[in-house]
Amino acid sequence: MHKRALGAAAVTGVAALALSACGGSSPTTPSDTGAAGTSKAATTTGTPETPSGTAAPVRDANVDLVIWTDADRSAAVQKYADQFAAENGVTVKVQISTDTRAQFKDATKVGKGPDVIVGAHDWLGELVQNSTVAPVNLSSDVAAKFLPKAIEATKFNGQSYGVPYAVENIGLMYNKDLVPNPPKTMDELVATGEKLVKEGKAKQVLSQFVSKVGNAYFAYPYLSAFPEGGIFAIKPNGDYDPNKVIVNTPDSIKGGDVLAELGKKKVLSTNVDDTNQDALFDTKATPFMISGPWSVAKAKEAGVNYGIAPLPSLTGGGAMRPFLGVQMFYVSSKAKNAALAQEFVTNYIPRKDVQLALFEVGKRPPALKEAYAEVAASDPDVKAWYEAGIDGSPMPNIPAMNSVWGPFGQATADIIAGKAGAKERLDAAAKEITANIAKG
Amino acid sequence: MTKPIALAIKWVLIVATLAGILWIATRLAQAGNTMAVVIAGLVGMGILAVYATRRSVPLKYLVPGLLFMILFQLWPVLYTASLSTTNYGDGHLYSKQESVTDIIAQSVREVPDTPRYKMSVAIAEGGDPVTADLVLLLTKPDGSTYVGETTGLKPLPPAGVEKTSIGKITKAPGYTVLTAKQANARSKDLSAIAVPTSDGGGIKPVGLSEAFEGKATVTYDAAADKLTDAGTTPPTVYAPKDAKWVNVADATQSFPQGWKENIGLANYSRIFTDSTIRSGFLSIFIWNIAFAILSVLTTFLLGMLIALLFNDPRLRGKAIYRSLLILPYALPGFVTALVWKGMFNQDYGIINQTLNISVDWLGTPAGAKAAILITNLWLGFPYMFIVCTGALQSIPQDVREAATIDGANAFRTLRSIIMPLLLVAVGPLLLASFAFNFNNFGLIYLLTKGGPFNGADTSIGSSDLLITYAFRLAFSGSAPNYGFAAAVSVIIFLLVALMSIPGFRRTKALEEVN
Repeated sequence: MHKRALGAAAVTGVAALALSACGGSSPTTPSDTGAAGTSKAATTTGTPETPSGTAAPVRDANVDLVIWTDADRSAAVQKYADQFAAENGVTVKVQISTDTRAQFKDATKVGKGPDVIVGAHDWLGELVQNSTVAPVNLSSDVAAKFLPKAIEATKFNGQSYGVPYAVENIGLMYNKDLVPNPPKTMDELVATGEKLVKEGKAKQVLSQFVSKVGNAYFAYPYLSAFPEGGIFAIKPNGDYDPNKVIVNTPDSIKGGDVLAELGKKKVLSTNVDDTNQDALFDTKATPFMISGPWSVAKAKEAGVNYGIAPLPSLTGGGAMRPFLGVQMFYVSSKAKNAALAQEFVTNYIPRKDVQLALFEVGKRPPALKEAYAEVAASDPDVKAWYEAGIDGSPMPNIPAMNSVWGPFGQATADIIAGKAGAKERLDAAAKEITANIAKG
Repeated sequence: MTKPIALAIKWVLIVATLAGILWIATRLAQAGNTMAVVIAGLVGMGILAVYATRRSVPLKYLVPGLLFMILFQLWPVLYTASLSTTNYGDGHLYSKQESVTDIIAQSVREVPDTPRYKMSVAIAEGGDPVTADLVLLLTKPDGSTYVGETTGLKPLPPAGVEKTSIGKITKAPGYTVLTAKQANARSKDLSAIAVPTSDGGGIKPVGLSEAFEGKATVTYDAAADKLTDAGTTPPTVYAPKDAKWVNVADATQSFPQGWKENIGLANYSRIFTDSTIRSGFLSIFIWNIAFAILSVLTTFLLGMLIALLFNDPRLRGKAIYRSLLILPYALPGFVTALVWKGMFNQDYGIINQTLNISVDWLGTPAGAKAAILITNLWLGFPYMFIVCTGALQSIPQDVREAATIDGANAFRTLRSIIMPLLLVAVGPLLLASFAFNFNNFGLIYLLTKGGPFNGADTSIGSSDLLITYAFRLAFSGSAPNYGFAAAVSVIIFLLVALMSIPGFRRTKALEEVN
């Protein structure tokens, strides 16, 4: 029993990580794998400190600047951190954190947090709520060099909190050997897929992460395809309004009806989740997969002749518009080295070479226009991902979004499984979300 | 008379312990925790008094256990209980004062149409870089240079001033420019600097080479205990309500930064008055007990049957079979759980495919519960098998022979002779197994995450145990709320404590058989 008790402790740790990843963040957790190997570590003088196990890194008190990032990006960050260190005559340490979002919050609470972290923009509301990030004042001419949507995503209540380096969104991946041209509409996609299944060339029409508990991130585009559909209404100032939950507006319900219909046709299934969605596409069991840049490396490895296209449009609505996720550098509000942290983030991250180096480790389209233009010219995948997300809106970064993932995700899973009608289930989800927001 | 060597060892140990306590106390002092330092001191003195003198011999045996019990059992319980009377959680981590400071700091906006300055941090010549007042050497985009002090902005004559290509001043007569390291060491002072300007804003540094003119839109009126945001027209007034700053005119608007405060027994009353939580709590509790009992029963029965089978002297190749049977136990539990999760998949799982059925294992409450029990049977039976094998081998062969001679058949021997002897040995282990499974977080979490969730309530899953439920409340879900989760934990603690009383009585009874 001892062994299992120890195991249980380990599991709790792992589970905690998995949980916080699934709970509120964008599902970017499976990203970066594979691409990490391509990072150039040739000129790094220091090596990122690797943690033992999954515990949070321990802050080194004798260092002038401490940066926390995940393992994949650490080499690229380290390279420029070393440059920054040499230029300013200081010491910089890049530490690998296995779950930056939670570990940063906890470590900062007890005064042991890093000065800079790398993370997704939808953490912002929660970080502001917990007083853990400081405003970062980019000058307007530097901000103008970035994609406007990326800059917009770094703002909360009109204040800017970091410097973006990449954007990401989901799109439609298709197998070029089975489908020469990507479908423009969902009807066309279903017809093509069903024909292939009938001919025995595929087993399933589409692979999309649904799972038994649902996935709000992947379900959202079905709602956003309709003009008034979505999760939160937009305030006049462009922010999302936590007091106006719109998951059960007539237009959102139209999106729910599409989910129900696709569930009935077995195009969408709650039996597809993160453990098998890539495998279905990579073993050519399905010609279509709705996923993001993090799935490319695996498809390439499996030798699938894949193409990337924007999400199809729905009958009666427009194109499905995915959420945009933005990867960015934050400065801690409790940074011990606030001056150097601000200096590094405002002067180094907007550089083209830094953005290109970070592109190499994640293959996400860079947020700096100049860097994007250079990459897009040579990498058709990046261009395709970018174009698939061109109409998307940034994922809400307000803390209220944490109240949405569970109820809305579960609602879509139930609708797809046919357990409840779209209207009834989305009404119930709206009620639960509103109640949760009021409690929070 | 104690031998000198024993005495030496004793004193070495005492000194080592005291040194350890001293080390802990210095760390606590660094962290500014006065109360804890005092307690550490008392503990140190207590240890010295007990072990250096002969005054109380029994305490010499009891002190280590007592100390560890207080540290690892009592303290967490008390801490959890004290946390359960607060609203500690996301958005309520710091004090009210800190929330005010933070809100004001975050409200600083760049004043429109003001220039960005290139900046160097400097001190008056001859000053000490560590303590001297900081000044900002500023360059406007047009190349004109200024000195920014707490009193205001004054021009810096260009004579003798050296600049980099981007305009950052590297040398100015009368000032010493600080290096990045020196300036960074004064981050606190730097962030407090705001060189006042004529329009009410302040020139503030961004990092070490740029400065902008910013203005905080929010002000705090300590007398009225109100925040005013002048950034809107008309200005918005916020007053404290439910540990948050809420807009006086529109209660739906508030600042995200709240503060931690004592809310008495509100968390407990919520558990008992909120109908969703109350009914959910009950159903989770019932399933939790059923899960623990069924897990122990199934694993024990299977393990015991196999152990009986392999205890038969006529069976050959026992060593190989036994090693193979231990395999599920030897594999890491969380890998196994994930593999089982894949096997239970309705469409692609091997179980449905082999049996040619279409059971939605993980999507229906009954299916999920069955899947959990089956997986736990696989994970748990090897342990019972090992334990029973050991216990069976310790039962002397002549007892069975005596039973056979007395005319008992195999079943009767098992029921009246072997089982009682076996239970004496494994009884306490069954209780331990029950306690372990009662809090078997990992299995549930990896297999179903507590789901499936029914209807419009995603806070209570149909395969949730109390521990996974409390975990979801504390660390995920809509808004992590440690205070409320602590209250739930206290309730769980009381339930488990109540349930273990009969358990301990039973163990005592088993011991009396011996």
